[in-house]
Amino acid sequence: MSDSHDSRPGLELEWAATVQQTMDRMMRRVTGEYHEDEYGFDEEFAEAVFPIWEFLYRRWWRVQVEGVANVPAHGRALLVANHSGAIFPFDAVMIGTAIQKEHPLPRWARALVLNWAFDLPFVSYFMRRIGGVAANPANLGRLLGQDEPVMVFPEGAKGFGKPFAERYRVQRFGRGGFVEVALETGSPIVPVAVVGAEEIYPKLGESGLLAKVSGAPYVPLTPTFPLLGPLGLLPLPSRWRIEFLEPIDLSGYGPGASEDRSLVFDISEQVRETVQEALFRGLVKRGAAFL
Amino acid sequence: MAQTGRVAIVGVSTHWGSELARTLSRDPGVTGIVGIDTAPPGSDLGDVEFVEADIRNPVISKVLPALEPDVVVHCGIILYPEEGRPSRALHDINVIGTLQLLAACEKVEGLRALVVRGAAAIYGSAPGAPAFYTEDMARRFPLVTRFQRDVGELEGYFENFARRHPEIVCTMLRFQTEVGAGLDNPFIRYLSLPVVPTQLGFDPRLQLLHAVDANGALAAATSNPVRGAVNVAPDGAISLSRLLKLCGKFSVSMPPVFAGAMTRRVGSLLGTGAMQEDGRLLLRYGRGCDNRRMREEIGYEPAFDSEGAARDFAAKQHGMSALFRSPHPGSPVRTLPR
Repeated sequence: MSDSHDSRPGLELEWAATVQQTMDRMMRRVTGEYHEDEYGFDEEFAEAVFPIWEFLYRRWWRVQVEGVANVPAHGRALLVANHSGAIFPFDAVMIGTAIQKEHPLPRWARALVLNWAFDLPFVSYFMRRIGGVAANPANLGRLLGQDEPVMVFPEGAKGFGKPFAERYRVQRFGRGGFVEVALETGSPIVPVAVVGAEEIYPKLGESGLLAKVSGAPYVPLTPTFPLLGPLGLLPLPSRWRIEFLEPIDLSGYGPGASEDRSLVFDISEQVRETVQEALFRGLVKRGAAFL
Repeated sequence: MAQTGRVAIVGVSTHWGSELARTLSRDPGVTGIVGIDTAPPGSDLGDVEFVEADIRNPVISKVLPALEPDVVVHCGIILYPEEGRPSRALHDINVIGTLQLLAACEKVEGLRALVVRGAAAIYGSAPGAPAFYTEDMARRFPLVTRFQRDVGELEGYFENFARRHPEIVCTMLRFQTEVGAGLDNPFIRYLSLPVVPTQLGFDPRLQLLHAVDANGALAAATSNPVRGAVNVAPDGAISLSRLLKLCGKFSVSMPPVFAGAMTRRVGSLLGTGAMQEDGRLLLRYGRGCDNRRMREEIGYEPAFDSEGAARDFAAKQHGMSALFRSPHPGSPVRTLPR
């Protein structure tokens, strides 16, 4: 055994250094000597949970990505995607993971999260630490003004909680508020089509009683949830495909254009159709949902 | 710099009133300072003229005009409802007192500016709130607590007054939670508990305004008042969990159902005073205010950001923190004490 010791003299030292580093890191967490930004995003925390997302991305959902270079490497950008998931917004997490893993100049993208998530214990601060921000125009405008990439899901709860039978039918895009802010801040809109997230929790119905008790807007019933309890929260291993589409440049309209209601609705509808068409194309390209 | 002239400080015996009087007495633009309160200030304020009067009493509208102030600063609003001084009792001081004072200001000839030291509590704390409230968002959400409605009401009177008197520059300052060594408010008493109760599963984003900046911004607004509401808040925000870690505090998480009752019980048991409904919501959802108006229009640049104020507070308090101070700073402290 002494041979191998001689050939790698630094091994013990290296091991000691790893222990030292881990201890240092734990000590920093315990004493509060870490950074969090003004929205409560904690990059160290986001990095610590990243291996979970990586596993889901590579092995569980075998995510295929197309057009990730359409996400600008610098400056503000508004990523507009279809929404689904019914229980947890894994689509947002996977879009973020795709940018981290595939983009030549990866950035942490923020996500606007449904407001009631911030009223749920644990979920509220978990979301915030990995880059979630309450969904309102003020937050979106401020983040874009600071040249951040931001994900929005204009379908909101209508898309998130739609039944399995309506999968991949993009719902109404709210009141077009995201377009108003994009026009005001001159941010390019990058439509994103996520295929696969609809199958992870096939929502068959809703439980009005559980919703009332928990205070959530709805509680989904899936083949496994709440039948199998916490085990039912395990997402099904569908095959995913995320497509980042050509950015839509809005800088030509000028900041005053956000007052123009019909223009706002036109652009909103244009983005919705772009995402819908990409979804149908993506479904064909993906093929079977689970194999 | 323009001449500020003669300043009347209402509520001069409060901590912030006395601090303002001291700061202004060094300002060459201030030709005279009159302090008004129900009891004389606890410390010697030099050549500050003291007048004993109660703003809850209509006599104030005879007293104030006789003093001939150019600027009136209202420091008499109590920003924290707490045990033994509940929001119901504050109504008299905060709302009725302000109403009387505004009536008195109407009688003052040649009044140039009115500065009110108000509260950011008007924004409340909500799960879906903007990360940083700007001044125009004050009534966008319903005012849920009694104290919040009080602040809303007194701001309403203030706005009416400002509209009827365009010749007077009326400034409403909305202060975030102040911290500082030697300062006393329910939030600081909460932080000083041996074991700090927090709400299970919630970790609010807070803004801590350093005492230096709380005083500096008030003095800056007195010399350079602007029209309308201005948030007095530091840059950035800090989460409660990180604040407690920086302070080296042990915390115990309690299910939200019990949090309200428990903080009240623990508070009164230890004689530290409990924070009421506003405090419970603040410690659940937090609150952030945008400070661009303060920096750009009043021209006051805060010396500490939220993290800097937390670190300064932690360094100056006694206790476990010194034992756990790490030699590895995890993030740069952007702002340093002057």
